[in-house]
Amino acid sequence: MPPRRTGNDYMDVDSDSDVSILDEFEQTTKAKAKGKGKAIDRSKPSKGKSKAKEQPYAWEASYTRSWDTVREDETGSLQGAVQDLIARGRRRRLLAPAAAIRRSIIRHLVLVLDLSTSMMDRDMRPTRFDLMLQYAREFVTEWFDQNPLGQIGVVGMRGGVGERIGEMSGNPQDVLKCISERHKLEPSGDPSLQNAIEMARSSMSHLPTHSSRELVIIFGSLTSCDPGNIHDTLEECVKDRIRISIVALAAEMKICRELCDKTGGMFGVAMNEGHFKDLLFELIPPPAQRALARTGGGGVSNPAADLMMMGFPTRLPNTSPPSLCVCHSQLKSEGFLCPRCLAKVCDVPTDCDICGLMIVSSPHLARSYHHLFPVKPYQPVTSLEETPYADSKCHACAAPFPSNPTQVPGTATEGMSLLGRYRCPDCHHVFCTDCDVFIHDVVHCCPGCGK
Amino acid sequence: MDKPSHLSVVVDLSPSQWHLCGQSSNSHPLPLSAFLSQLLAFLNAHIACNDENTLSVYGALPGKSILLYSSATAVPEEFTGPADPNTYRPFEVLDSTMMNSISDRVEALTDLEQEPPIGLVGALTKSLCYINRMSNASSTSTAAGGVQGPVVLPDPRILVVSVSPDESSSYIPIMNSIFSAQKLKVTIDVCKLYGPESVFLQQAAHLTGGSYIYLERPDALLQYLTMAFLPPPAVRQLLSVPTQDKVDFRAACFCHKNIVDIGFVCSVCLSIFCQPVPVCSTCRTKFPIKTLQRLNASKPAAPAPRTPAPTPPATSLPRSQSIGTPRSSMGNGLVAPSPSRNGTSLPPR
Repeated sequence: MPPRRTGNDYMDVDSDSDVSILDEFEQTTKAKAKGKGKAIDRSKPSKGKSKAKEQPYAWEASYTRSWDTVREDETGSLQGAVQDLIARGRRRRLLAPAAAIRRSIIRHLVLVLDLSTSMMDRDMRPTRFDLMLQYAREFVTEWFDQNPLGQIGVVGMRGGVGERIGEMSGNPQDVLKCISERHKLEPSGDPSLQNAIEMARSSMSHLPTHSSRELVIIFGSLTSCDPGNIHDTLEECVKDRIRISIVALAAEMKICRELCDKTGGMFGVAMNEGHFKDLLFELIPPPAQRALARTGGGGVSNPAADLMMMGFPTRLPNTSPPSLCVCHSQLKSEGFLCPRCLAKVCDVPTDCDICGLMIVSSPHLARSYHHLFPVKPYQPVTSLEETPYADSKCHACAAPFPSNPTQVPGTATEGMSLLGRYRCPDCHHVFCTDCDVFIHDVVHCCPGCGK
Repeated sequence: MDKPSHLSVVVDLSPSQWHLCGQSSNSHPLPLSAFLSQLLAFLNAHIACNDENTLSVYGALPGKSILLYSSATAVPEEFTGPADPNTYRPFEVLDSTMMNSISDRVEALTDLEQEPPIGLVGALTKSLCYINRMSNASSTSTAAGGVQGPVVLPDPRILVVSVSPDESSSYIPIMNSIFSAQKLKVTIDVCKLYGPESVFLQQAAHLTGGSYIYLERPDALLQYLTMAFLPPPAVRQLLSVPTQDKVDFRAACFCHKNIVDIGFVCSVCLSIFCQPVPVCSTCRTKFPIKTLQRLNASKPAAPAPRTPAPTPPATSLPRSQSIGTPRSSMGNGLVAPSPSRNGTSLPPR
C-alpha cells in the first residue's frame, strides 16, 4: 500500500491540529511552540531550553485557519475544496527537487525506538508507544518495498541503556517479528541517546563503504541519560558517515537537532498522528549521496562507489523434492540455491548463512532502477489553448476532466493546475491529478511515452 | 462467483505478428477475425458472470495504446434506440464498441516499412491507472458516508493477450508496471498466442500470482480463456489453474551477456558484470583498486560448471504440462534481464 493514498490524506485533513497542512514553511517553529505548550502542561523540565527562544506560542503564531481556507463552491458543497486540499497535499511531495543524481541503493539502517516511560504519554492516541509500534511496522514494510537490497536492525532505548531488539536483517519478516511483540517492548525507565547510538554504530562498523549507514531515531522523551559526552559520539558518527534522522514526539531538543544537522539527516517534531507518519515515511526514499560525498572529503574520488559480489540463485519450484533449508531448518520444497555453496535458503535477498554471499534475484535489482531513472515531473496545464492533445479525458485512466475550473480562492499556487490537468514534457499527453500522483509515486513509468 | 470482479484486457494488435499468426503454414493458424470473435465471447462471458462485473479493454498498437472499451463510460447514443430482441443489450454494446474502435484504429494505421514497437507498456500502465482510479473512487465514496459509488474492486486483474516478442528496451517499464501491480494487488495473467516465449510476461505472471499460458493450440483459444482466465483469482485456488514453475530469475552480465551465477554489481547503477572490472561501463564509475584485488582473490579460480536446474521428478511435473507447453527452450536459455542490457545502459533521462 503506497503511503500517500487517499486514506492518509484524510488523516491529514481530519487531524486534531488547528494548523492547516498548507503552511509547511512554519512547521518546525510551530512544532517547537507546540512542544513548549505541552511541556508546560506536563511540567516537564524543558522550560530552560524553550525560554531562550523568541518564538511566539502556537496560539500567537500567524497560522492559517483550516476552516478559513475551505470555501463552499457555487452549489454549496465543500467537496471541491476538500479535494483540492488533498490534491495539493499530495502534489507538494512531487515538487520536491528531483535534482539528486546519485542515491544510495544498498542501505543499512538501524531503527532506534524510544522505550522510556515518556512513551506511555497519551497525547497521541492510543499511546505514543502503540502508535510508534504501528507506524514502525508500516515503515519497515514500505521501506523494504522501496529498498529491496537494504537491511534494517532495531535498537531500543530503555532503563538508561541501549537494547538490541533485532539484528541487522534483509528480510522484512524478521524485522517485523522482532517488533511485533508488544509485551517484550514494554516501556520503562529513561532513554539514553548515547548508549543507543553507540550500540547502533558498533553494529554498523563492519559494513562496506559503498553502503549507506543510517540511524532513524523515534524519540519521545525530553531527557537523555548518557554515561559520557554525547558530542564525542556525534564526532564519531560524522567520521563514520552515519546519517542520523530523528522524529521527535515531544519537542525539539538542541542535541537532537545537532545530531541530525551535523550528520546530514532530517529532524522533525511530530505535531499529530498524521504528521508523525509523514515525517517517518519521508525517510523511506533513498537519500541522495550528495551529503555523504561532501562529508567524505578525503583523497578517494568516489568513496561511495564499489563493486559488489552478488549471487543469483537458482529457484526451486514447489514441485521439487523437499529438503531442509539452512535458515530455519524446515523441510520445504520451494527455495533458492546459493550459487556458491549450494545451500538452500527460503527467501531472497539475503546473505547466505553458510558462505556469506549476498544473494539477490534480478527483479530485486530491477526494483531499484526507478530511483535511478525517475519519470520527469509533469507540467501543470494552465490554459486550454496551448494543448496539443486537447482531449477531454485523462490519457491514462480515461476519466473525463472537470469541465469548469475549480473556483477555490488562492488555488493558483505554484505547480497546481486550475484545470486539474498535467502534461508530460516528453509525449505531451495530459493526465489527471490522480494519475499524476500515481504515476510518479507508484508506477514510475509514463503511459504516454512508455518509458 | 458471487463477488463482482474487475477485468482489464490488454490485446496485442500488432499487424505484422497477426499476419504471421494467421498464416496457413502454421499448424494451427488463428487469423485476427477468428481471434476477435473468440475474445468477444470470452468478454461477454465475463460480464454475464455477474451483473456488477466491470471490464476495460486496451489495445496495444504499434507505437501507441488505446482504450477500446470500458464499462465505466456511458453507453453511446446509437444504442439507445430499439434493441435487437435477439441479443442481450450489454453484449451488443460491448461487441460493437470494440469492433468499431478496433476497425477505426487499424484503418488509421499507416503502411510503414518498419513497424514501431508495440505499445504494450502504455496499455499496461493505463490499465493500472484505470484500476487505481476505480479503487480510489470506491474508497473515497465509501469514506464520504456510504454512498453507493462505483463498484468496489475486490479482485482486479489484468489479462494480457500477446503475440509480439519481447521488446528489450521495455524491460524497466515492464518491471515497474509489475511492481505497481503488486502494490495494487492486481493479478496479471498472460495468454501467449504466438511467437517466442515472453520472458518479461512470464515474470509478470509469476510475480503477481497470475498464470502464464503458452497456447499449444491457438485455434482453441476460447477454451483456454474460459477454463483458465475466466474465474477470478479467489476461485482459481480451488481450480488448480496451470502455473509457471520454470521462471528463472538469474541474470545475464552486461559485458558478455553470459548467464551468471555469481556476478559483480556496480553499487551505483546496479550493472552486472561477470568479471571484476575497474570502471563501470554503464555509469563510468571508477572502483577502488583494493576492491578489485580482493574480489579477484576471492573469485573462484575456474568458473565452476553451473549446476543444471534441478528438474522435478516426473511424478510431480507441473500441471502446466497438460495444457501449456513445457518448451525445451525454457530451461536455462531464458533468463531474466538479458534484455536489460539495453534498458539499463540507456542514458538516464
